[in-house]
Amino acid sequence: MKCADVSANLGAFVLGGMEPEEAAEIRRHLASCPGCRNELEELEKVNRALQAAPPPADPPGHLKEQILSRVRAEEPSFSAETLSPSGGYRSRYLRFVIVGVAAAAVVAMVALGIVFSLREEPPVATIRLIPTYEEAAGLEGYWGVAELHPQPSGNQRVELKLNNFEEPEPNSYYELWFVSGGDRISAGSFTSEGKGETRVWLNAAPEARNSRTLLITEERADDDPSPSETVALKGKLP
Amino acid sequence: MMPERADEISDEQLMLRLGGSQAEATISVLYDRYSRTVFGVGLKILGDRSLAEELVQEVFLKIWRSSQTFDPSRGSFSTWLYRVTRNCALDLYRKRAHRVRPVPDGDPHIAAARDSSPGPQEVVDGSLLSWRVSRALEELDAAQREVIELAYFGDLSQREISERTGVPLGTVKTRTASAFRRLRQELAVGDAPREASR
Repeated sequence: MKCADVSANLGAFVLGGMEPEEAAEIRRHLASCPGCRNELEELEKVNRALQAAPPPADPPGHLKEQILSRVRAEEPSFSAETLSPSGGYRSRYLRFVIVGVAAAAVVAMVALGIVFSLREEPPVATIRLIPTYEEAAGLEGYWGVAELHPQPSGNQRVELKLNNFEEPEPNSYYELWFVSGGDRISAGSFTSEGKGETRVWLNAAPEARNSRTLLITEERADDDPSPSETVALKGKLP
Repeated sequence: MMPERADEISDEQLMLRLGGSQAEATISVLYDRYSRTVFGVGLKILGDRSLAEELVQEVFLKIWRSSQTFDPSRGSFSTWLYRVTRNCALDLYRKRAHRVRPVPDGDPHIAAARDSSPGPQEVVDGSLLSWRVSRALEELDAAQREVIELAYFGDLSQREISERTGVPLGTVKTRTASAFRRLRQELAVGDAPREASR
């Protein structure tokens, strides 16, 4: 068997799909041919890599249309309510607990209000941000308050006050976003200790002035600048 | 002048179109190019078909919503999409790991009680290689990919592949050889997103 013949069969050889006689013939050639052995080593690397291959499976046919219809529905403006493609924000956002003053532990949930002001003091408008409408049903009060203080420079200064806002996952933090069309403008990041009041001051660029929606997302501490889809709180200016 | 065909445009050029009026058509092309890889890697990481479907939805909606965060000077679209896929898979993995547990005094408290399955980082370790192999397989033509899939996933011999497909044995061998050459080339010089420590 010549090198060209061996080379043409090495793929099948490493896959183990040859007839025994053919395989034996190739092995005999390999024993005396360093060049073909080198090629075999390379193909064996490919064969090992193939073990990591995902199973050859197509996503269900309806999925594409489902995604495209979501794109159609959101175009051209971005809707905060559709951030969870699965159709529901996770119940983990209910992990805000307010302990009442009564002897028995009274657990209450608080929705986020945003107070918006054209003056430095006091803020002028209020929005409630909630994890989901379904999860908010039956809940009373506020998750917290964010006061917006537009600055003479055009920056948006935000004082965020959250009650018993659960600490983020390990290696994660929260980030406040102003949503404008399809864009998100970050107002900065923060963390929470999980109990008591979390009070932070954040700032967003002047472009945030036209935003009508705010989101608080949980972001991982990595080098991916893409906003997370993990939305903890959301809400709109009235 | 020949009209520009969407399937001839690079991924990076397509991403530039997402901000315009061709968003739906653009997502459609990117879906055709990458949905099998996202779905397959999702199955590999999450081990659950419905979660893998959810992953596909999240990833392609994120392409649409976060296209402005893609910077071609920092890497290829495939590199960016791999990271998006991995991060979304991690999010889904974490969400699946959450359980409702009672607090000691009996009040219901939804907490991040985790099961004893491997941690998310362990789960995605190796996903980069899966991604690269999947992309390399997608670069094969349909005939080459068929013989590799039948041999590797169907565990068929060359002769059995010939019988199954009706293609002469010699042609099966030739396709296998050319598929391996192409895979070697793709895996050696193809898009190799660096596995960042995150």
